[in-house]
Amino acid sequence: MNHLKKLLTRPLANVSTGLVIAALVVALLGFADATYLTVEHYQGVIPPCTTGGCEIVLTSAFSTVMGIPVALLGSIYYLLICIGLFAYLDTRKTAILRTTMFLPCLGFIGSLWFIYLQAFVIKSYCQYCLVSAGISTLLTIVTVFIMIRYHDRPTSFNENI
Amino acid sequence: MNIKRIIFWIAFIVVLGLIVWGLIVAMNKPVTKQPRLGTPAEVVATDHVRGPVNAPVTLIEYSDFQCPACKAYYTVVEQLFASSTNLRVVYRNFPLYPLPHPNSVIAAQAAEAAGNQGKFWEMHDLLFSNQLTWAELSKEKAIDTFKEYATTLKLDISKYNTDFNSLVVKAKIEASRTEGESLGIGGTPTFFVNGTAIVSPQGYEPFKKIIDEAAR
Repeated sequence: MNHLKKLLTRPLANVSTGLVIAALVVALLGFADATYLTVEHYQGVIPPCTTGGCEIVLTSAFSTVMGIPVALLGSIYYLLICIGLFAYLDTRKTAILRTTMFLPCLGFIGSLWFIYLQAFVIKSYCQYCLVSAGISTLLTIVTVFIMIRYHDRPTSFNENI
Repeated sequence: MNIKRIIFWIAFIVVLGLIVWGLIVAMNKPVTKQPRLGTPAEVVATDHVRGPVNAPVTLIEYSDFQCPACKAYYTVVEQLFASSTNLRVVYRNFPLYPLPHPNSVIAAQAAEAAGNQGKFWEMHDLLFSNQLTWAELSKEKAIDTFKEYATTLKLDISKYNTDFNSLVVKAKIEASRTEGESLGIGGTPTFFVNGTAIVSPQGYEPFKKIIDEAAR
């Protein structure tokens, strides 16, 4: 537990710009995916029913949380990640990057919950939701990689090498 | 904040705006490409038909009582039928069973059983109007709910029960789905206007336009 706390709180250094840009591109794809479903929701468009059952997922009771469409929450989630990553690229302040990187971890937990709902409760899958879960997972992997690979090593540690 | 950073952020906001704008434009663009599907079988006596026999336009719908999109189009087709004397509407079962619609076949059985007593369309209306009530129920509870609808329609319940469970009714539903599959139907609702598959129009007005053009 203590190791996890250290991993989550230790400062970052020399984070690869290419990796952050790649994460930003992936987050933009997630934003497009979630926004597509959000627009569809507010336009009142119900996609045709197919054996895949996407419409079942999108019209189920789980498609909204307290009246707010889950798709909209997804759009906001990806938008915040995009803004955070972009702000880091602009300012190079690692505190912004570290704060932003908590979001994919929360999103990953959310994705696991929605995949569970699709598989065991709604018993239908929506490809757009699965794409979002995949993107969220990818962002989480990048996040964990950055946290492990690019932490700011303390001087004493360096001296011991 | 220097100019370079301002441009940097403006570019970012523009990219986000373009994504949203592009999605909205793409989604509002009407899909006009006709689906490549076969020609449905001729309308026969066992079909469920509304409207004049000699109507210039025959609208055949392959539908599923548990499908939310079919429920949405139910309202549109009702409006079309009410506003046109040129239209004959045919309903054919295409239940997406067992998934994603586990109650679709029993709903079709209820409609067919009602149809055997001359009240197919009345049951059809009740099933679509109350779709949210029974769609998520267990099979047993949904069957009980359909029996309540049969009672509301003043059907002979004994005959309704017999027909509901009859192999003839089940075979008719299966045959309808098989025919739909042979046409290449992949989802519901799928509409055919005078034998040609159409892209389901978004709403009443574009649908009315298609019907009016076919009637000319």
